[in-house]
Amino acid sequence: MPVFQLHVNGSVRTVNVDGNMPLLWVLRDELGLTGTKFGCGVAQCGACTVHLNGKPIRSCVTDVGVAALAEITTIEGLGGSHPCQLMWIEGAVPQCGFCQPGQIMAAVPLVEMCRQQRVAPTDEQIDDAMRGNICRCGTYPRIREAIKKAAGVTS
Amino acid sequence: MSARFKVSRRDFLRTAGVGAGALVFGSYLTPSLQAQGLIGNLIHGFPVEGVPVVKLMFDGDVVIIAHRAEMGQGIRSSLAAVLADEMEADWKRVTLKQADADGEKYAVAFPQEVTEEHQLPFPYEEIPRTRKPKVQYLVPPEGSQFTDSSRSMTAYFAVMRLYGAGIRLAMTRAAAKKWGVKPEECRAEQHRVYGPNGQSTDYRWLLLGAKKEKPTYEEISNALKKPEDWRYIGKGKEKMPFYDAADMVRGKTVYGADVQLPGMLTAMIERCPVANGALVSYDDAPALAIRGVRRVVPVYPPGVRGGGVGRAFAPHAGVAVIADNTWAALQGRRALRSTIQWDFGPHVTYDSEAYRKELEEATSKPGMTVRKLQDVDGPFAQAGGGDTVEASYYVPHLAQAPMETPVAVALFRDGRMEVWAPTQSPDVTQFSVGAVALGVDCALYDLECQERARKAATVHVTMLGGGFGRKSKPDYVVEAAMLAKQMPGVPIRVQWTREDDIKFSYYNAASNQYLKATLGADKLPTAILQRSALTSFFGTLFPSTSTPGASAPEIAANAKARKDFLGGGVYPYASGIERAQGLEDMPYEVPNILLENCEAKNHIRVGWMRSVANIYHAFAINSFADEMAIAAGRDAKDYLLDLIGKDRILDEKTMTSQLVERYRNNELPLAGIDVPVISGGKVNQVVAGYPPDTSRLRAVVEAVARESGWDQKVRQYKNVKGRGLGIAAHRSFLSYVAIVADVSLNEQNELTVNEIWSTIHCGLAVNRDRVEAQMEGGILYGLSYALLGEITVKKGAVVENNFDDYPVLRIHQTPKINIHIIDSQDPPTGVGEPPTPVVAPALANAIVAAGGPRIREIPFRKSGIAV
Repeated sequence: MPVFQLHVNGSVRTVNVDGNMPLLWVLRDELGLTGTKFGCGVAQCGACTVHLNGKPIRSCVTDVGVAALAEITTIEGLGGSHPCQLMWIEGAVPQCGFCQPGQIMAAVPLVEMCRQQRVAPTDEQIDDAMRGNICRCGTYPRIREAIKKAAGVTS
Repeated sequence: MSARFKVSRRDFLRTAGVGAGALVFGSYLTPSLQAQGLIGNLIHGFPVEGVPVVKLMFDGDVVIIAHRAEMGQGIRSSLAAVLADEMEADWKRVTLKQADADGEKYAVAFPQEVTEEHQLPFPYEEIPRTRKPKVQYLVPPEGSQFTDSSRSMTAYFAVMRLYGAGIRLAMTRAAAKKWGVKPEECRAEQHRVYGPNGQSTDYRWLLLGAKKEKPTYEEISNALKKPEDWRYIGKGKEKMPFYDAADMVRGKTVYGADVQLPGMLTAMIERCPVANGALVSYDDAPALAIRGVRRVVPVYPPGVRGGGVGRAFAPHAGVAVIADNTWAALQGRRALRSTIQWDFGPHVTYDSEAYRKELEEATSKPGMTVRKLQDVDGPFAQAGGGDTVEASYYVPHLAQAPMETPVAVALFRDGRMEVWAPTQSPDVTQFSVGAVALGVDCALYDLECQERARKAATVHVTMLGGGFGRKSKPDYVVEAAMLAKQMPGVPIRVQWTREDDIKFSYYNAASNQYLKATLGADKLPTAILQRSALTSFFGTLFPSTSTPGASAPEIAANAKARKDFLGGGVYPYASGIERAQGLEDMPYEVPNILLENCEAKNHIRVGWMRSVANIYHAFAINSFADEMAIAAGRDAKDYLLDLIGKDRILDEKTMTSQLVERYRNNELPLAGIDVPVISGGKVNQVVAGYPPDTSRLRAVVEAVARESGWDQKVRQYKNVKGRGLGIAAHRSFLSYVAIVADVSLNEQNELTVNEIWSTIHCGLAVNRDRVEAQMEGGILYGLSYALLGEITVKKGAVVENNFDDYPVLRIHQTPKINIHIIDSQDPPTGVGEPPTPVVAPALANAIVAAGGPRIREIPFRKSGIAV
């Protein structure tokens, strides 16, 4: 069985699994990083969103063999005080909360880009970044507001 | 830790001999209250027998037990904050702990032993006294943790207040004694009591003194805060805390699949796609060849019919692949799939298209009368063609599809079953998995069997990643238990895929509604007929002639039990619960009314989804109101108000004179109940009644019209092509919601929902932020199924698989939502479900106003509306 060295949240973790095991199950079952959620298994809902080299991907359809070549960041690696996390709390965004790690990981690149460029995100940009992430509780209006606040620039 | 104790807290507790590490306030507070024979004066009364919802630690910190399931409605925080508010607890020193299943512990009793001659009125007379003879419950053990029907705050608001106020009073008195002052001279604030001469002390130093205080109910009741003093409740001065948010956004919250136990294995189950099917044969070799797969075991032995129609919470027939991890289980399952032979049984003929015709046929002729006022036949016969309005509305099966698919962990050892599960029904789960441990099959009416089974099981409730009714049915937990029983000592996690969730739900009923009305000279209806055909979830709960393998005596015993159970009625008709959700309580003031329930047989598991029978009843009646308004040439909102008619209360007298069976009213009384209180004979406690009150329905309609600028926009949109407003209003779960939808429709029938306005009357909005969140979520849930939702069945099996072919609403399809809460100090009523059923009709009506087609079917996309 192949051994993979994964760069996860700033540390190196070794796993001994099939190369085609989706990253999602490696994170959850092998590394105990359960903040990343299973929602659909077919890249339809975004609950499993993590970052590879800073870009959001669906870990349920990403082979561990591919992920091993990149820096992996999960919700646990976001630090806990990322502007998204703080604004999500401030705006009381979550209901059941299950999809929110994935929502936040999907939102982070847009928010960070806006913060760097000091521009406010447009509704279209938010739609584009977030339309792949489903929330059945219906927290979409609050997600939109939290992203705008986290971007730190008012339009 | 204070310097006064030179030992660690753990050591101190050990030497103090307190096993649980806490003073249990509940157990001291309640017996004293119970002895007084007292009861809450708002709604449900006071808990009995040491309901330990509060533990005070020796450092003064507070542990509040969350006994209701949390699935996104925020109830963990809301109930705890109500208690903390009244207690004047410092929220920074509050910890929440989720309760295991223990229905009896959290039940709420009437104050006195209820003898045969002291019979309480409906609905309490019907509550079975199973657990403790002679105790009559306001909230029975079976319902105390059943998180369903939008009832948590309704049932427990007064209880939590009284608990909190009682503790505050005890603390205040203890401080007064310590200082030698009068309690009235002291006040409590944020975990401290302040005396008249500048003294103050933390609650922690008052624990032992407070323990000796025995405030009576009347004293506690008098000590309740006035609304203007509330910190969090209602329009309190501070934002109500949201305990779980911080963990949720950091990925720390533990949901069902996040439970990790040493040596745990993961199972995936390949299930028979047809209800009540059985396993014939399978070959385990291909699955066992997958690395990491440990065992392949059937859920039931070959030949045994699995769950489905009439089998309540029994899982479908299936074969499980048990493996070291989820991926191995999934691969093993794929390898197994083609080796399985099923005996599908009779429901293999179930077909959505054919079934729709059956429902339409059923509503084309008279059904069972459920409510009748005067006579509709005369006006129907007299009416000219132009004065008759007639329409039929169809709603297909719908799946709840919570983001977290069903999942559960079970461990069987020493004859007992221990499970960890995201469940809305800890109690039903407990007796269901306990029955597996004991190897017995408890019928739904066999209360003794259930009681034995409960004792054989422990249920730990995790956070739910959404519920929406799906997780009221513990079939997935039973699966885990059935597998764990076959591997004693090994924790087994059953993980469902999204495909499993879509294909093996307990679907909301498919329904057809037929309505007919004649309009009089004033263009208002003189007679209205509504025929409702729906697949009742009682057909899933109780075996009937549609349950293959059920014996005649079994069917007869269950038919009797069903009739006696919550107005269960007879197969294949609806239950009292479903009839009471928007059919029997049809609110329009019409001189001649006939409401009928038509037959609908069951061929698949039917359960309930957020707002349940209100989904099709509210869609039909509100769409029909708009159709009548158009026929009358009237403004939709003005006409709706005329239909609602004069302000009146549909009380016991009004309803019973028309109904054939009792109106169930979300299992709460229509009229208040006086309960004689023993103590001093002074306090005459009243349990509130919650009758349908048309003045409240009118109030939400008027408010939403005002908030949306209805009159002005209607005038404006007359000149705007493809733009329109629609309105709808409905009472459900004791609350009233009205919605206005503003839509645009272009030449290609592409729909844009521009904005939604909503108003709710839910009594006191205890946690205003979560009421708003539930309104947002409930509306979007309604919008989602209205536009997109459809489960189709062919050859007995569900066709849809995942979010690609069972689409749900996404962020770019989400309109701006405006929420308005009617100010009220009345007892709180439901919030989670009431917004949902009002959306579809408001939207359908708006589409017509925008020049689009009249849509009489869900989902709208089937009528060529693109979103």
